[in-house]
Amino acid sequence: MDVIQRLEQEIAELKDTLQMKEQELVEIKQKFLQINENSTENTKVRIGGLPKWAIERYSRQILLPDIGVQGQGRLMAARVLIVGAGGLGCPASAYLAGAGVGEIGIIDYDEVDVTNIHRQILHRERDQNLSKAQSAANSLRSINSKIKITPYSIDINPSNGLEIAKNYDLILDCTDNVPTRYMLNDISVLTGIPLISGSALKMEGQLTIYGYRGKGGDEKEQTHIGPCYRCIFPRPPPPETVGSCSAQGVAGPIPGVIGVLQALEAIKLLVGHPHTQLLVQRMLLFDGGDSTFRTVKLRPRSPACEICSDEPTITKLLDYEVVCQSQAKEKDLDLHILQSENRISAKELAKSLNAKERHLLVDVRSEAEFNMCNIDGAVNYPLEKLREKQFEELMEKIRSCTSYVTFVCRRGNDSQLAAERVLDALVGPDRSRVRDLTGGLHAWARHVDIDFPVY
Amino acid sequence: MAHPIKLQIQFGGGAELLFDSIKSRTIELPAIDKYFPECQREKWTIKELLVWMKDNLLRERPELFLQGDSVRPGILVLVNDTDWELYDELSYELLEGDTIAFISTLHGG
Repeated sequence: MDVIQRLEQEIAELKDTLQMKEQELVEIKQKFLQINENSTENTKVRIGGLPKWAIERYSRQILLPDIGVQGQGRLMAARVLIVGAGGLGCPASAYLAGAGVGEIGIIDYDEVDVTNIHRQILHRERDQNLSKAQSAANSLRSINSKIKITPYSIDINPSNGLEIAKNYDLILDCTDNVPTRYMLNDISVLTGIPLISGSALKMEGQLTIYGYRGKGGDEKEQTHIGPCYRCIFPRPPPPETVGSCSAQGVAGPIPGVIGVLQALEAIKLLVGHPHTQLLVQRMLLFDGGDSTFRTVKLRPRSPACEICSDEPTITKLLDYEVVCQSQAKEKDLDLHILQSENRISAKELAKSLNAKERHLLVDVRSEAEFNMCNIDGAVNYPLEKLREKQFEELMEKIRSCTSYVTFVCRRGNDSQLAAERVLDALVGPDRSRVRDLTGGLHAWARHVDIDFPVY
Repeated sequence: MAHPIKLQIQFGGGAELLFDSIKSRTIELPAIDKYFPECQREKWTIKELLVWMKDNLLRERPELFLQGDSVRPGILVLVNDTDWELYDELSYELLEGDTIAFISTLHGG
């Protein structure tokens, strides 16, 4: 064990040294570059406003009539804010860094977890527990040391969102939850900064541009304003209908595809393509399950929109977790529904199981999660299906036995909801037999069975 | 005179989970006065289609798909790949061969 600790310590120190050296290299390169650029300036080899190194470095895309020298100049002057350094934000920012976008801000409050790595391609195994924003910034710097990268290892919220966003020309919504999506939309509309919104779950992805405002081109293009998120979705969905990658899963390449296309739309928008060539008032639907892409036509900006119409009723940022009745950070959800007598800790449960006390262990996670890992002897009644016939079947089981009934889930939230439903249907002494495992299987893995997978 | 029509209905973004996980199917609606004897109209609209779907296809938890007489927030309805808002939403009169899609919005990333 000493060897492990010593090595871990050594590796941590080496990582710090590596980071310092990398930073040093970036700074020296930048200084050197400035001197070089000045000398290029003197010898007048600047072509179309771009220095020699930029022409060379970005030549493969400058060759495209869609980008050209002028477009490359615009990319190099552009500032893009990427919210979320996850499955979408990683590929999106990688391509934007590669394309030479002058300044990239990347926000994420979270840390790198091993479950992220199959899709969040900027993070490596050695980055585990490092801030995602920092880890992404490190990778982006290794892709392109000539651009400015600003990591924000913070939670973007209504009190700092406008302040951060105003330093950028374009926002990419690479987030994973409803409240943050509404907030980013409102930030986009209030600041006039367009929002490229991507999303992905399981085998499907969606992509569109909200809050587009024409800048260049003819008069028609200059005055064009695309719909915002609220024009299309004035009301947030009921929280129970919203899935997440951590609960329902996602195939790595799905956010990869959408994130890469977000970068492509960003490049086209920054270069100045007209709205007719962008995903403005159009939504791209990608179904990886049957390998189909389709683009559907959306409604235009709504004259009745609460935020982007000419007479808006929303003029400042709101409390989006309240508006959407859901959490922006799912890991923080920590329900306290049951009374303490109806809860049991992992250690107590283990002791009771070892003492051969009779237990009906009811695991309320989805079937897919249950199949991945479960406590020996547990039965699976997924919460989402626990009603009508299924519920009656379980109640019958509970009423006909005399053992403890312990509800189990991943983190100890759903198990309380299930136990509560059952408690509501029971009267008298039966109620004291019903408990839920506090902290769920995560607590079980931490306190009882270290071999149990934590996902 | 009212007569039966055939339509394609499609689901995506997870909405298919409420419909036996079938993403695309062809349906045939009977003449509207056969299904709604009280109905004065000769043509089906999306409003009646939703009732028909609730009666015939929706297995459980209708609240995850419907709210009042319309779809719940967060489901995009498309008439032949175009937002139904551009087609009078619930009042759109269905035509033979139309494709009506119900796409649940995704929020993951």
